[in-house]
Amino acid sequence: MIWLTWRQFRTQIFAALTVLAAAAAYVLITGTQLRHSYTADLASCGAQNDCFGVLNGLQDQYNGPLQLAEMLVLAAPGLIGIFWGAPLVAGELERGTHLLAWNQSVTRTRWLAVKLSCLALASVVTVGVLSLLLTWWASPLDAASGNRFGTMAFNARDVAPLGYAAFAFALGVALGLLFQRTLPAMAVTLAIFIAVQVLVTAGVRPHLLPATAASVPVNQTTMSQAIRFDRSDANTGPVTVDLPAPSGSWLQSESEVLNSSGRPVQTGEILSCWTKYFGQPGASGKGGSPGMGPLGACLASDNLHVDLTYQAADRYWQLQWIETALYGALALLLAVATFRRTRRLRG
Amino acid sequence: MTAILEARMLGMTYGRRRALTECSVTIPPGRMVGLVGPNGAGKSTLLKLACGVLTPTSGSISVLGRTPGTGPEQLARVGFLAQDAPVYANLSVGDHLRLGARLNPGWGQGFVERRIAALELDPRQKAGKLSGGQRAQLALAVAAGKRPELLILDEPVASLDPLARRAFLEHLTQSATENGTRVILSSHLISDLERFCDYLIVLVASRVRLAGNVDQIIAAHHRIVCTRRDPGALPAGLEVVSAEHAEHQSTFVVRSDGPLPPGDWVTQPLSMEDLVLAYMGTAESGIRSATQGDGGAR
Repeated sequence: MIWLTWRQFRTQIFAALTVLAAAAAYVLITGTQLRHSYTADLASCGAQNDCFGVLNGLQDQYNGPLQLAEMLVLAAPGLIGIFWGAPLVAGELERGTHLLAWNQSVTRTRWLAVKLSCLALASVVTVGVLSLLLTWWASPLDAASGNRFGTMAFNARDVAPLGYAAFAFALGVALGLLFQRTLPAMAVTLAIFIAVQVLVTAGVRPHLLPATAASVPVNQTTMSQAIRFDRSDANTGPVTVDLPAPSGSWLQSESEVLNSSGRPVQTGEILSCWTKYFGQPGASGKGGSPGMGPLGACLASDNLHVDLTYQAADRYWQLQWIETALYGALALLLAVATFRRTRRLRG
Repeated sequence: MTAILEARMLGMTYGRRRALTECSVTIPPGRMVGLVGPNGAGKSTLLKLACGVLTPTSGSISVLGRTPGTGPEQLARVGFLAQDAPVYANLSVGDHLRLGARLNPGWGQGFVERRIAALELDPRQKAGKLSGGQRAQLALAVAAGKRPELLILDEPVASLDPLARRAFLEHLTQSATENGTRVILSSHLISDLERFCDYLIVLVASRVRLAGNVDQIIAAHHRIVCTRRDPGALPAGLEVVSAEHAEHQSTFVVRSDGPLPPGDWVTQPLSMEDLVLAYMGTAESGIRSATQGDGGAR
């Protein structure tokens, strides 16, 4: 059975190997350059005291390839589901070759088990290698940006794509068996895979682990790192500020500026400090040097704070593994359904 | 010796459509079996039930004494060549033989190599590029190569030209002889079955209308021509299969388990084809119990 599986899918396997080889060659060449510039930049920027700007420049330079590579790693499981999963059984049913396969001295359960496990393994390994390559290649950029929880950064790094690959493949096989035709199975596989990805990324992942709550005071230290400070035009509107969450964490919610009793502060209450440092009313504060540190110093005596919820940086691996396991479990359920349906299928 | 196939009230429905109804038949061992019937009569369904691709919705079936498709051993004992002889288009002839060799413990490599050489098939040729006749031959070589005790073929020659059909049936005969394989062959071409089979099953409108040894079937059926009369006016013991009435005379195809009693009629020769057509033509006129031929031989 393993021989037959290999013989039937070797073209696809060779195609995957070609893609992987090309990706590996590109990643090794540009990745080495990237690393070289990164270490050189880090060494020089310390002396110039402008690491922020230098690393920003590096990120800009590699932004195009990075996004392209992330797209590839995100798309790979979907493509595998469409081109490896959906035709696996549906293609045989369409051409009637399942009647040839099922009448050799091998039960159809074993036939399916070998095909399913061999190609699931190939799918996971293919996407795993792509993810590994990207994770290695982008690690200097990820270190510079400090944002590992962004959708693209999280979904296209480390182990999560392995779960996506297993799920997409199993989904394709199951739908192929359900429709007994390749083309509709391909279309629906893609639609469901994208829907599940969006749902999990936006709706499930934020709730996988309880968020950490923190209250950050508004003072000179915190305000000097703030990115934005907004007030309303009228005296009675809320005041918002983007205070930095703990380094490398995933900020999930941020309240308006609150006073010591937890009530949202009105624009009128901070107007005196505002006009002192920004002059005209209605303007927004902008981050960077000299920043909003002085405004923070002025507001410190009012005992203001902002409530945050976030996932700490060390939750990254926990979330990666939970999501991989979640997708892996979905893939397993689909595989069980596929076995049950194959056994009962009326050829 | 166990029966080749034993069905008891076997039924198969697809949704609300009945493909096979209350089919009871026992095929004694050692027979070459022909299955004949109009398109849509349930021939494919019966054969797929026999090889285990389908499981019945009612009744029971056993093939060579065991439930079809229940495990690798039973799969090894029964070969199946599906309608239109499916092969993997992108695999070569040689790949198909390797497939057979790897998936069947009883594979007869020497036998298959001789067959392929005799058929002048190029092992490197892609199966998708073969002609219809060659494809059927390849599928037969794979099905026969696993050297099953029983080989089931579902209309293998339906789409072949007369020359390819003859070559295929010769290949089948040789394979069956060489490996001692029994065969169930379905076709709507009675002439093909007549040459090949010594046991016949006629399936009409999802029911078995006739089953038995060919010589006994022939011996038990007669065509008689007499003055016009009602079927009921014929002597008892004659079962009317079909009746045609002209202005002054009636023609009956009748079955009689003993010798034909004397009467005021002329007996005409009845070919197998006429006989089968007589049964097919009476699909709507009620159900007769299937003739069991030599019946309970087991």
